[in-house]
Amino acid sequence: MKSLAARSAASFSIVSLSVVLGCGSPAKYVETGSPQSIVSVGDVDMQDILKASSGMLESLIETGILKTANAKPAQLVIDKVVNDTSSQFDVGELLYRMREQLVNSGQATVVTTFGANAEDKTAQEQLRAQAFRQGNAVDGMPSPDFSLSGKITQVKRQAGNTQQTTYTFRLTLTNIRSGLEAWTKTVDMTKQGTKNSVGF
Amino acid sequence: MNMTRKLRIVLLATATALTACGSVNTTYTRTTPSATAVPTNTQVNDALTQIFLRAGEVRMFPSKGGPLEVQVDVINNGFSYRGFSYRFDWVDANGSVIPSQLSVWKTGNVPSGGSTTIRAIAPSEAATDFRLQVRRADE
Repeated sequence: MKSLAARSAASFSIVSLSVVLGCGSPAKYVETGSPQSIVSVGDVDMQDILKASSGMLESLIETGILKTANAKPAQLVIDKVVNDTSSQFDVGELLYRMREQLVNSGQATVVTTFGANAEDKTAQEQLRAQAFRQGNAVDGMPSPDFSLSGKITQVKRQAGNTQQTTYTFRLTLTNIRSGLEAWTKTVDMTKQGTKNSVGF
Repeated sequence: MNMTRKLRIVLLATATALTACGSVNTTYTRTTPSATAVPTNTQVNDALTQIFLRAGEVRMFPSKGGPLEVQVDVINNGFSYRGFSYRFDWVDANGSVIPSQLSVWKTGNVPSGGSTTIRAIAPSEAATDFRLQVRRADE
């Protein structure tokens, strides 16, 4: 009798476990940055990066700063953008989206062969060698209009179990010829909650 | 005290309590539409009323850099704090959507009795009109 009860309990446990596992949501595709995305209280999410990128681009286009460049389209150099938050993500996620929009729409070009930290060293070497052969070491090199730099920071606070994090994305465009700041923009994002959730 | 009177007092107290919780009193000093107002309030309002919000004025004008800027005043006449997501897509003169990194889902919040202005900049001068999608935030 005891053995029967034990077997029944074991069977019940297995059935319950199967039901619980079966109720979990299966993996599915969601639109990147859509309101179905996961929202993390203490991390930068993909939708945060998309919003920051959109906010930066809107400001760049709205002010018309790129139209003031000597070159048409404006020539940009991407300098350092520091991720000073505890959330791990590549700042390229932000920058490449901005580049895609600006370069593909013909509003700017990115110089990848400029300076000590050139993005494309091979192309830079080739360009230098070609300029040297032609005896034109200065004129043959690209002459960018602006340099883009920035920082991403966070401010974290807690009240009881509720956490709040504000992420601030800030970018600055410096006129390379004058050395003066030509444009700057901050985009803030504040998230509050006790735990991560799906959807916003 | 009869039942009707009791019910009235309870309803009044409930309404007062709801209004007092984070509600905002808003005053508009402008009495005439702005020069950049566009006659799309009805369509925008139709989208917003489904999430218990209301569109005030919709303005569209060229930004300093050239491409259009749109601003929509979103008003919350309800008793509760409302969160929502929205996305502007831009279309060209042929009505085709212009794909861009600027069209992303953003979030907005309006306290009871308050208002907020959502805005967007077109990706290029080719954009002549916009499409607005709104969605009630998950609560």
